[in-house]
Amino acid sequence: MTAAISILQALLLIVAAPLVRGTIARLKAILQNRRGASVWRPYADLLKLLRKEDLVPTTASPVFRVAPRAVFAATVAAVLFVPVLHAAAALSLAGDFIILVYLLALARFFLMLGAMDGGSSFGGMGASREALVSTLAEAPFLLSITAVAIVAREMSLSGIARWSLAQDPSRISAVHVLAFAALALVAIAETGRIPVDNPTTHLELTMIHEAMVLEYSGPSLAWIEWASSVKLSLVLALLVALFMPWGMMASPSALGMALAIAAFLLKFVLLAAVVAVGESSIAKLRMYLVPDFLGVASALAILAVVFTAVMR
Amino acid sequence: MEIAFQFFVASLFVLPFAAVAAQRSRMARAVVTTAFFVVLVAGAIVAARGFWAGEAAVWDLSAFAPFPFALALDRLSAFFLLLICVVAAPVTLFSGPYVERHYGGAPRTWLWALLPLFLGSMVVVVTASTAFAFLFGWELITLFSAGLILVDGDSDERRHNLFIYLLMMHAGAAAVVAAFLLFLPGAPGLGFGAMRAAGSAMSPVMKNALFLLAFIGFGAKAGLIPLHLWLPRAHPMAPSPVSALMSGVMLKTAIYGFVRITFDLLGGGPPWWGYVVLAAGAVSGVLGVLYAIAEHDLKRLLAYHSVENIGIIYLGLGAALLFLAHGAPTWATLALLGALLHTLNHALFKSLLFLGAGAIGHSTHTLDIEELGGLQKLMPVTGAAFLIGCCSIVGLPLFNGFVSEWMIFRSFLAGSTLADPASVLLPMMTGVLALIGGLAAACFAKVYGVAFLGRPRSAEAEHAVEVPLPMRGAMAILAAFCVVIGVAPAIVLNPLAAAIQTFVPGTPLLHEQLRFAHVLPWIAVAVAALMLLTMFARTAVRLTATWACGLPKLDSRMQYTSTAFSKPLRTVFAQVYRPTRVVEVTPAGETYFPTAISYRSARTTSYERLLYRPALNVIVAGAHILRRLQTGNIQIYLLYIFLALLALMLGMRFA
Repeated sequence: MTAAISILQALLLIVAAPLVRGTIARLKAILQNRRGASVWRPYADLLKLLRKEDLVPTTASPVFRVAPRAVFAATVAAVLFVPVLHAAAALSLAGDFIILVYLLALARFFLMLGAMDGGSSFGGMGASREALVSTLAEAPFLLSITAVAIVAREMSLSGIARWSLAQDPSRISAVHVLAFAALALVAIAETGRIPVDNPTTHLELTMIHEAMVLEYSGPSLAWIEWASSVKLSLVLALLVALFMPWGMMASPSALGMALAIAAFLLKFVLLAAVVAVGESSIAKLRMYLVPDFLGVASALAILAVVFTAVMR
Repeated sequence: MEIAFQFFVASLFVLPFAAVAAQRSRMARAVVTTAFFVVLVAGAIVAARGFWAGEAAVWDLSAFAPFPFALALDRLSAFFLLLICVVAAPVTLFSGPYVERHYGGAPRTWLWALLPLFLGSMVVVVTASTAFAFLFGWELITLFSAGLILVDGDSDERRHNLFIYLLMMHAGAAAVVAAFLLFLPGAPGLGFGAMRAAGSAMSPVMKNALFLLAFIGFGAKAGLIPLHLWLPRAHPMAPSPVSALMSGVMLKTAIYGFVRITFDLLGGGPPWWGYVVLAAGAVSGVLGVLYAIAEHDLKRLLAYHSVENIGIIYLGLGAALLFLAHGAPTWATLALLGALLHTLNHALFKSLLFLGAGAIGHSTHTLDIEELGGLQKLMPVTGAAFLIGCCSIVGLPLFNGFVSEWMIFRSFLAGSTLADPASVLLPMMTGVLALIGGLAAACFAKVYGVAFLGRPRSAEAEHAVEVPLPMRGAMAILAAFCVVIGVAPAIVLNPLAAAIQTFVPGTPLLHEQLRFAHVLPWIAVAVAALMLLTMFARTAVRLTATWACGLPKLDSRMQYTSTAFSKPLRTVFAQVYRPTRVVEVTPAGETYFPTAISYRSARTTSYERLLYRPALNVIVAGAHILRRLQTGNIQIYLLYIFLALLALMLGMRFA
C-alpha cells in the first residue's frame, strides 16, 4: 500500500508539473490585468511539440538528441526521492538529498552539452551563464538541507518530513527560518525564475535557459520543457516536505489520501501565487548581480548550519 | 599466489632488457608490448585475488640486499596494486600504436624500457613491507618518471620545469625519509610490523612530528596546494600515456604512503591532524578546479584537475582522522572508504581523460581546445569514452566519481554527531565539496562542449580521424570500469571495507551505509528505461542548418570559445586569478579610431612570488652565512676537526 502511494505521488508530481506552470502563468496574467491562457495550456503545448518532427542542425552530433532525453530521465529519477502525499518517498536512504541534487546536476550538465552542440553562439552563451548560476547555487542548496537534516537528526528527506510532521508548527526554529530563506533563493535560481532568469524572455542579451534551448524543436523541446516543469514542481515539493509537510498522510487511508491531496493542491496554489506575485513585482537582476544573490543564499545557509550548534 | 606475485614483480624489471633487445624489429617490439600487457593483466589477477579473497603473498629479498628488503601483499597493498595494474594495462594497450606512430629510434626504446621500470618502482612502493624497500621504490619513481618526461625532448624550458619537478620530489622524499627514521628507536629493522608496534607506543610529540613530516612529504608528491607547483609543469610535458600514468597512478602512491603511515602505522592522532588535512583538501580542491577552468590547454587543465581530486581525497582522509580522534571508527571507515574509492575512481577516469587527450593530439596535432570542435562526429568512440570520463570526474550519478563523493558527503553529514567544533565544521564541508562539484561541472561542460561538440574551429579538427582499434579499446575498457563502479559499486565497496577493517578496528559498516550501493542500480534502471523510452519514441528527424539570425550561414568563429565560456566564472572569482592585462592601441593615443588593437592577458599564480621566492631567499642568505666557515685556511680547518672531536668526546661522556 505504502509503495503504491509512493509511486502514485511521484507520478502525480510528474503529471501535474505542467499544470503548476500553467497556474503560475495564469495568476501572473491576472495580476498584470491580462486575460492570459488557460491553466491547461502547457499540456496542449507539450502534445503539439510531441507530434512535430525533430529539427537537428546538420553539424550536430548524436549528443544533440540524447541530451533532452537524459535531462528528462534524470529529472524524473530525482522525483523518486521526494515525499509528497505521505512522509515516505519511493526511494529513501540516509543522504538521499545528495543524490537528488546531483541528479539535477546530471540533467543540467547534459542540457549545457546539448546547447553547445548547436554550434551557434546562443547555445554557448546560455550554457556559460547556466554554469555560473548552477555552480554557485549547488553549495547553498546542499547546505540548507544539511542544516535542517542536522536539527531533525534524520539524514533522508522522508525522515526529515516525518520529523517535521511530529513538531509543533507554532514553534519555529532559527535554523528553519535561515534554511528556508536560503533554499527559497536557491529554488529561484535553480528553476530559472525572475529575478535570476526570465522563462518568458526572448531577448538574447538576458536569457539563460531560453538561450540553451533555442536550437531545440519538436519532441526534443517537449522533453526539455516537461523536465523543467517537473524540476519546478520538484523544488516546490522539496520546500513543502522540509518546511511545511503538514497534511501529509500518517498512515494510508482514504480520508488521509483525500486530505493529503487537498493539502498538496492548496500548498502548491499558495506557492504558485507567491511566485506570481514575486515575478510581477520585481525586475530581473543584471547577470553579474546573480552571484551576489546566490552569495546571500550561501551566507544564510552557512549561518543555518552554524546555528545548529546552538540548537543542541 | 606467492609464485605469481614474485613472477609479476620480477618480470617488470626484466621487460626493459627485452625492450632494448627488441628495438630493431617491428615484430619483436609488438611481441614485447604484448608480453608487457599480459604481465600487467597477470598482476591485476594477482591483485584481485589479494583484494577480493584476501590472499596474502610475501617476497623477502633481505638476503640479496644490504638492508631489510621485503615485499608483502596485504589487502590495502592489493587494492593499490590492483589500481596500478587496472590502469596500466589499458595504458599499455593504448601506447602500442601511439608510441609506434610518434616515436622512433632511441626515444622509443627509452620509452618502452622506462615504462615497466616506472611501474615496477610503484609496485615496490605499494607492496613494500619494510621502510627501506618503500624508500627504494619511492626514489626510483621520481627518477624513472623524470626519464620518461625527457623522452619528449630537452629544450631549456623543459629542463627548467623538470628541474623544479626533481627538486620538489626530492624535498618531499627528504621529509618522507625523516618520517620513517623517526621510527628507528622503537623498530630498528624498520619492518612495517615492528613499526606498527612502535607507532602505538610513541610519545605524542614524536607522533605529531612524524605526522607533519608525512603530511608534507606525501603532500608534495600528491600535489597539494601550495606544494603543487611541479604538477601543472611536469604532467603536460610527458607523452600522453605517461601523463595518464603520472596523474592516474603515481599521485596515488602518495595517498597510499599517507594512509599507511597515519592510519596503519600510527593509528590516527589528535583532532588537529584531521583539521589540517581537511583544510589542505579544501584549499587544493577549490583552487585546483578554479585554475583548471581558466586553462584551455587540455593537458594542463587535466593536471589542475588532479590537484582538485587529490583535494577531494584529502577531504575524505581528514574526515576519517577526525572521526578516529573522536572515537567514531564506523564513520571513519565510511570516510576512508570514500577517500580510497575516490583514489581508484580518479585513477580510472583521469587516465581515461589523459588517453583521450592523447587520442585528440594523435588525430589533430593540437591540445589547445580553442582549435578543436566537432570531434564527436569524427571520433565517435573517443568522444563517447571521453564523455563518460567527463561525467565521472564531475561526480554525476551513475558514474564512479559520484559514488566516492557521496560517501565523503555522507561522512560529513555524520560529523554532526561529534563534539563541538567538528559538529559544525564537518557538515560545513558539504558546501565546499558541492562548490568543487559545481565548478568541475562547469569546467568539463566547457571541455567537452568546446572540443567535441559544435563545429570544428581549425582545419586539423575538421580532418580528424578516429584512432586505431587498440587505442579505442583502451579507452573503452577504462570507460566501462567507470560505469560499472558507478552503477554497481558493491563489488568494490565490500572488499575495500574489509581492507579498511584491517587497520581501523571498529564495528563493521552499518547496513544502512551500504544501502546506497543497492539504491544506485535502481536509479540506473529508471534513468536507462526512461531514456530508451523517450529515445525510441516514434519521431521524424529532419536535418537543418542552425538558425543564424537570418544571416546566410554560421561559421566556426561565431561559436562560443573556451575563454568566452569561462569568462563569467573568471569574473566572479577574479580575486583568485589576478590576471595582468595589456591593451596596446596603434597608433598610440588614438582611442577612437585605432588601426590595430592588441590585447594580452597573463595569469601568474602568486605562489612563486609570495611563497617560494621568500623561502628561496632565506636559503640563499643562509648559504652565504655558512660560507664564512670556509676560509681556505688550513689552521682553521684543523681547529674545526679538533672542536668536533672535543664535542664528540664530551657528548659521549655526558650523554
